[in-house]
Amino acid sequence: MTMRHRGMLPRTMAGAAIAALVLTGCRGGGGDDAEGSGPGVSSDPCPEAVNEDNGCITLGIISDLSDTFSAVAVPLTEAQEAFWDRVNENGGVGGYDVQLVISDAEYDPQLTSQRYQEMRTDILALGQALGSSQVMAILEDMRDDNVIAAPASWNSAWNFEPLIVQSGANYCFEAMNGVDWAMENRGEIESVLAIGYPTDFGEDAAVGAAAAAEANGLDYAQITTPPGQDNQAEAVSRVVQEDPDLLVITAGPTETATIVAGAASEGWEGTAVGSSPTWNPGLLQSEAAGALEAMYFQASAWGNWSSDTPGHEAMREALGDVSPSDGYVAGWVWSYPMLAALEHAAELDGGITRENLVAAAENLEEVDYEDMLPAEAGTKVGDPNETAYRASVINSVDAESPGGTVMEQDLTVGPTAEGYSLDAPCAALD
Amino acid sequence: MTTFAQAILSGTAQGAIYALLALGFVIIYKATHVISFAQPALMVCGGLFSYHFSAVLGWPFWPSLFIAILLGAALGMVIERLALRPMVGKPVFTLAIITIGVDVVLRVLANRYIGADSRALRYPGGGERYELLGLALSHRQVTIIAVTVITVVSLALFFRYAKAGLAVRATALDQETALAQGVRVGAMFALAWAIAGGLAAIAGTFIATGSGGIEQDTWIIALKALPAIIIGGLDSLQGAVIGGLLVGIVEQVTAVYQAAYLPFLGANFSLVAPYALMLLVLLIRPYGLFGTKEVERV
Repeated sequence: MTMRHRGMLPRTMAGAAIAALVLTGCRGGGGDDAEGSGPGVSSDPCPEAVNEDNGCITLGIISDLSDTFSAVAVPLTEAQEAFWDRVNENGGVGGYDVQLVISDAEYDPQLTSQRYQEMRTDILALGQALGSSQVMAILEDMRDDNVIAAPASWNSAWNFEPLIVQSGANYCFEAMNGVDWAMENRGEIESVLAIGYPTDFGEDAAVGAAAAAEANGLDYAQITTPPGQDNQAEAVSRVVQEDPDLLVITAGPTETATIVAGAASEGWEGTAVGSSPTWNPGLLQSEAAGALEAMYFQASAWGNWSSDTPGHEAMREALGDVSPSDGYVAGWVWSYPMLAALEHAAELDGGITRENLVAAAENLEEVDYEDMLPAEAGTKVGDPNETAYRASVINSVDAESPGGTVMEQDLTVGPTAEGYSLDAPCAALD
Repeated sequence: MTTFAQAILSGTAQGAIYALLALGFVIIYKATHVISFAQPALMVCGGLFSYHFSAVLGWPFWPSLFIAILLGAALGMVIERLALRPMVGKPVFTLAIITIGVDVVLRVLANRYIGADSRALRYPGGGERYELLGLALSHRQVTIIAVTVITVVSLALFFRYAKAGLAVRATALDQETALAQGVRVGAMFALAWAIAGGLAAIAGTFIATGSGGIEQDTWIIALKALPAIIIGGLDSLQGAVIGGLLVGIVEQVTAVYQAAYLPFLGANFSLVAPYALMLLVLLIRPYGLFGTKEVERV
């Protein structure tokens, strides 16, 4: 039995080698324009190809489909599926259709690394990598593999990272814009309390809030809070005790609602500005709805679901009858730079490969966001201090509006963000 | 002083939810000598039952809660009959592991229903607040405390005067003797699980009416009942109630004062405080504040 087995091994290996040769020989016969090769790029059509003559590009998605940010991440991922379906229906990119490999890392850096290991030889790039610490957990491997990623976070460190194709203002500028907006629109403000997760996400926004507080001559304090609606007693207590005029929150929607409603129920009457991920329309059904409508505002990287731009219109049409959510908009917008990089890579010698995609991403001068953001918001060429996009939208809660928010102020750069020198990431990522 | 009293009051409201969950753990433990790790899933399912009837089908809140209690009780009985009863006589460790499996299965099913969004249940009292002597309590918090008091008193009366309650107590004391006296021990196991399921449904419903509603990771809240039952004593109903309230109060008081007076303990020590109290109690009274000291013949 053993002898037979040994005898079979060389034959099997030889067969595999011949098959590989045959397949290699067939490469390029699929798509007319497809000339790239390597991991995640195939001349064979995708299993569910829209364009049978196209090759197939595989993008990985490492998301949070079942944990802290699942309420945003699930629609985010669905929007990215719809985005790439639309690209495929429009003929694909560079002679290829795009397919996604989706995995759930539960907002856990270790699981993110595990998911990346599972897909690293099969993907061309990451169409979504959710979280800041989570991306840090795989960044070295991405560098080794020449893999670029569209992030699902707005960390200021991404402005300094060539492999991350960022969109919109980072948490740091978002917090600055939130404070500056509140200074102009929410009466007299003398004190700011920043509350955030004890992570890069919370720290990045806290640096922005501190900068805006200093620029505006405000008293500033900062605390961290862990995830979990039952774990917000300390945050609520600090808000009630310190009685700040303005809260800058960088946490999940549930934590945000618990803090704002909890503090309001004990007499706090200030204003809360949360970063993009702090809102979830499901909160409108909760006990916190009244407090959120009265006191909470969302600083966001772009216009909400109802915004009137060609990109928003295309997104709504592609997604059809879904319950509006910021997650859909984020997933859609974050996909544009990846599409632009693929289009650029397809024009380089050798076509779409990991190496060419890295080169294309590094040389992105502008991205066509179909007016969801200005084209220069996607540039990677130049010094981060000059190229970093700094404008944010401010939304307020409106139960009658799709997605539960209405725009109070369109994309605007506040005076603090305008004058801030981004010489290094606001919060250094370890 | 007002701040301290406010912390006690808010902690009592939160602790009342922990007390309901802790009671479920203790009732099952007393009747079957099994620690049920399925309580988190029962809590989530109970909350979702209320959510479905109230938010989806449009029923009023209180009838929805009543139906959720019945369904929670039925679910508890089904679990006992299908997963636990066939294992009677096996080591309690094995049964405890089975409850972990049941918990996982139920939570997977519940998560399919929850999906990505939070399932928040609008409380009929809205954001109404009561203020007295500078202390503020929301309508919802007052209701949680009132419902917990009514539930605990009802249970105490049931176990003291009702025939079935006495039978459960007899089963808890000695199963073989109870069987010899004509008590249907199996039915008492089922009844204990039914009560625990109903209590978990009440707790889940009030959690669903909170700021965040029910999400896929809401089940973690039920784990706060574990230090409560250790503090109160694994086999004591009054211990479960007092343990639950203590956990809520200690959490809240620590949250209010620790940053100012004991900053060296670090941020968010309030989450650890109930476990620190649990360790303290275990050092002084290894069987909990109200637990029965085991006497072993050697």
